[in-house]
This record gives sequence, C-alpha cells and structure tokens, in this order.
Amino acid sequence: MGIEFQHVVKRFENGTEALSDVSVTIPPGSLTFLTGHSGAGKSTFLNLVLRADRPTRGKVLVNGVDIAGLKRRHLPVYRRHLGAVFQDGQLLDGRSIFHNVALPLHVAGMRARDVGRRVRAALESVDLLRKAELLPGQLSAGERQRVVIARAVVNRPKILLADEPTGNLDPTLSRSIMALFRRFHDVGVTVVVASHDTELVGTMGSRVVELDHGRVVSQGRANGDG
Amino acid sequence: MARTRVWQAQARPWRAYWRDHGRVLRDTLGYLSGRFVTTLWVWLTIGVALAVPAAIYLLEANLVRAAGQWRENTGFSVYFEAGVELEGPQALVRRLEAMDGIERVWLTTPDAALAEFRELSGVSDALELLDNNPLPASVRATVTSAVSPAGLAILAEQAAGTDGVEDVVVERSWLERLGALREIVIRLYWSLTAILGLGAVLISGATVRLAIEARLGEVKVLTLVGAGRGYVRRPFLYLGAAYGLGGAVIAAMAISALLLFLEEPLVRLFGSYGRDLEITGFDPIFHAMLLASGGALGVVGAVVASSQRLNRLNVA
Repeated sequence: MGIEFQHVVKRFENGTEALSDVSVTIPPGSLTFLTGHSGAGKSTFLNLVLRADRPTRGKVLVNGVDIAGLKRRHLPVYRRHLGAVFQDGQLLDGRSIFHNVALPLHVAGMRARDVGRRVRAALESVDLLRKAELLPGQLSAGERQRVVIARAVVNRPKILLADEPTGNLDPTLSRSIMALFRRFHDVGVTVVVASHDTELVGTMGSRVVELDHGRVVSQGRANGDG
Repeated sequence: MARTRVWQAQARPWRAYWRDHGRVLRDTLGYLSGRFVTTLWVWLTIGVALAVPAAIYLLEANLVRAAGQWRENTGFSVYFEAGVELEGPQALVRRLEAMDGIERVWLTTPDAALAEFRELSGVSDALELLDNNPLPASVRATVTSAVSPAGLAILAEQAAGTDGVEDVVVERSWLERLGALREIVIRLYWSLTAILGLGAVLISGATVRLAIEARLGEVKVLTLVGAGRGYVRRPFLYLGAAYGLGGAVIAAMAISALLLFLEEPLVRLFGSYGRDLEITGFDPIFHAMLLASGGALGVVGAVVASSQRLNRLNVA
C-alpha cells in the first residue's frame, strides 16, 4: 500500500499549524524516513496516516483511498492493516510479552492455535522468543522496543509506522532496531519511520522526507552505507 | 470504491466473540478481587441505594395485603323504613349480589335484628313491653379490595334508590385512609426509586470512569491495534454490571436483615389480629428483579461513562 499526502494542512484548535501544504508520495513497499527537529510535524504526519486525526485541508490517500472519508465502523479494520511503533512503547505492564504481542490478533478474533504460531514467529523475528513469558518490566528498554515492533508486525501489516522508535536507545541498539525495519521493508511492507536522528537516518540509504515547521523542505535518498 | 472493501468490517467468528467474553469476565473478576476494599465500598453504596426503594416496594405489597385482610367491615348498610315488606330487601339482596365489586351481602330481618338487639343490649324485659317490633329490615354489603372510595359511593347510591329505603350508611373512612396511605407509599416508592436509581447509575459511572482513567494506556493501545468500540468498552460494561449485581446482592442481604430485625414485633402485631405473619413479595421473583435492576443500573452507568470518555479519546 502506498501513501500520498495532497496539499495537507493540519491546524489544531489552539491555532498551531502542524502541517502546512504538505504533498508527499510514499510508494508501496518503500522504506521512508521522516526527519526534522522536534515540532516539525513528523508525529502529526503519522497520526494522519493512522487516522487518529483528520487533516484540516487536503487529502491523505492510502492505497488510493481518501481515509478522511472512512466511516467510523471501518476504522478498526483499516488500522488492522497498519502496524504502529511509538517511542513510549505502551506495553501493558500486567501482561506477559506473549500476551502483549498477541493483542492485535485477539482483537482481530484469530483462533488461539494461529495466535500462538504468529506470536512465536513475531517474537522470533525480534529475537525475543525465549522471553515470551516475562513481563515488560523485566526487559531492558531495547528489548521492550523490540516487543513493540513484534506487536506491530504480528498482524502482517501492509504499512508499518514508527515514531521515534530509537529515541531512548543507545547507538548500537538503535542500529539493530533500524535493521529490523529494513528487514520488514525487504519483505514488501511499506515502512515509514519518523526520527530526529539525522546521523542514523543517513546511514540507512533510504528515502528521506525532511520536515521543518510543518513544511517539506527536502525529499530524496540519503547516501548511506546500509 | 472497490479498494475500501478491504477495510470493511469482516464478521468475527462466534467462537472468538464468546472467547472474548470469557476473557473479559475473568479479567473483571481479577480486577475486582485485586481492589476488594474499593469494590466492597461501591457494592455497599449501590446496595443502600437499591435497598431503600426495594424495602418500600415490599412495604407497599404487604400493606395492600394486610389491608385486604383487615378491611372486612368496608361496605355499606341499607336501612329500610319500619314495616316494609321483606320482598323489597330480598330483591335488593339479589340485585347487589349480581353487581361487580360486591363481596358479600347479608339480609337482617326485623325479627333477627330484634333478637340480636335483645341479646346484646341486656334490656330484654323492657322490649317485652313493646306492642310492635320497631326495628327495620336492613341489608349489609361488603365490597372487594378493587373498589375505590368513589366506587363504594356509587354502589351505595344505587342501593339508596330502592323503594322503601330510609337511610344508607357507608363505612368508608378506613378505605379512604388506606387509599391515601397507599398513595403516599407509592409516590414515595417512585420518587426514591428515581433518585436512588440515578444515584446508583452515578456511582457505577464514576467508578467505571476511574477504571477507564487507570487503563487509559491499554485503551490507547487497543485502539492503535484496531480494536473497535465494542471491544474496548466491553471490560468496562462488565465492570458496571458487576458493581450493580454486587450492590443488588448487598441490598437483598440488607432487606433480609431488616425483616429478621422486625420479625418479632410483626409476629406480635399479626397475632393480635389472630393471624400468622406472612411476608409476601420477598420471593425468587423479587430477588431476580432486584438483581436485574442492579445489573441494568450498573451497565447504564458504565455505558454513559465509557461513551463520554471514549468519544473524547476518539475511539472508533
């Protein structure tokens, strides 16, 4: 699934304009980084794709469909085609890692047998299968972020969105997390990662959209080594 | 827009639906037992709110029944003019017996009235001196519990229209007092049901709202992974139902305790009327209604609180 922003403006009730006339095309199956300083509009961009918010003006097209026009009853199913990773992870503390990763599958009503198979595969992909029965509090920050990624991909999403997924991780862990995103991109998932870490993004050699005060200031491919 | 079809809700398997309910039930019981003191507090508060109107309901039901037993004198007496032939009173007896609302009719002939008077007055010697029997024939009728004071007056008026009738005496003061008392109790019941029912809804809603706030992170995650409003809201509706049902159980226990406390003086009161104490209404149907009302009020509170909060969170 591809994503297209057509002259999108997002203005909040307090008058702040988070996005100003943004037009961006993210091709299906691409790996795209949104960069820019804090307040540049990266999170707003991702929230519009998630349909957690609606644009004030312009269109957000996903797979060619203007998602602002989606009816409320279609939103949950739409979101099941997306995977989302956020900086503050938002894992459920009282539930095991297995249960946390299984959440999207339970929501979708998948059979218990299939849930087990999918969750094991997702945890395997982030190298955390051996910790499936632990609680989130028993994991390190990097491991928790990998659990969030496993949860985001367990439902085999068409689009994976990540907002500052390496925000509180050291450089080595950050690179391993980015390598995970590249692996999902390699199997055809459209991956959009918002990150202020331009140095790290520069090493990825992927498409980069740079935002500043809600405007697109540059689009192109980073010259990376990875 | 063929491409939108892929995002249209597909029916979830029934097995998954029931599995969700089982999971939510287990989670709810776990949530309640993990916060037992808070839960007990909510149950007691809702229990008091339910017990008061339920107790008044029982009072009203038993008041009507007891009144039915003690109202045997409610009716009217028709006194004929002295010397009237017995055909007239006998015809009135037949007419009254055919009327709706009449429970029982007695004819007292002048001779029977004189014999009764002689026996009760203790002046039989003086009565021997009279040439003629001065007492008239009379007809007495009692009415059923369905007859209102106004209905009793109409029946008495119809009887008064009979030839040879001199006077009609209606014994309705008891019926009027009972009617007024019942009206007060019924109005009190509905007023308290409305006020305390609203109280139960507010208690359930406020407690569920706190539970939503405590699980806001979970709600956001569920929304993010594609949970619909029904799925997100289900645990909170179960919580509201559990608070309401627990409150109803407390209310039933409170009423049982109240009846035990009142049993001894009630037995004495009923005994003074030569009757055994028998409380009506405190039966399985009453308990089922109490549980259903408690559960429903709890769920209503949860629906209001969760709708309001989930709307603000923009949960689809």
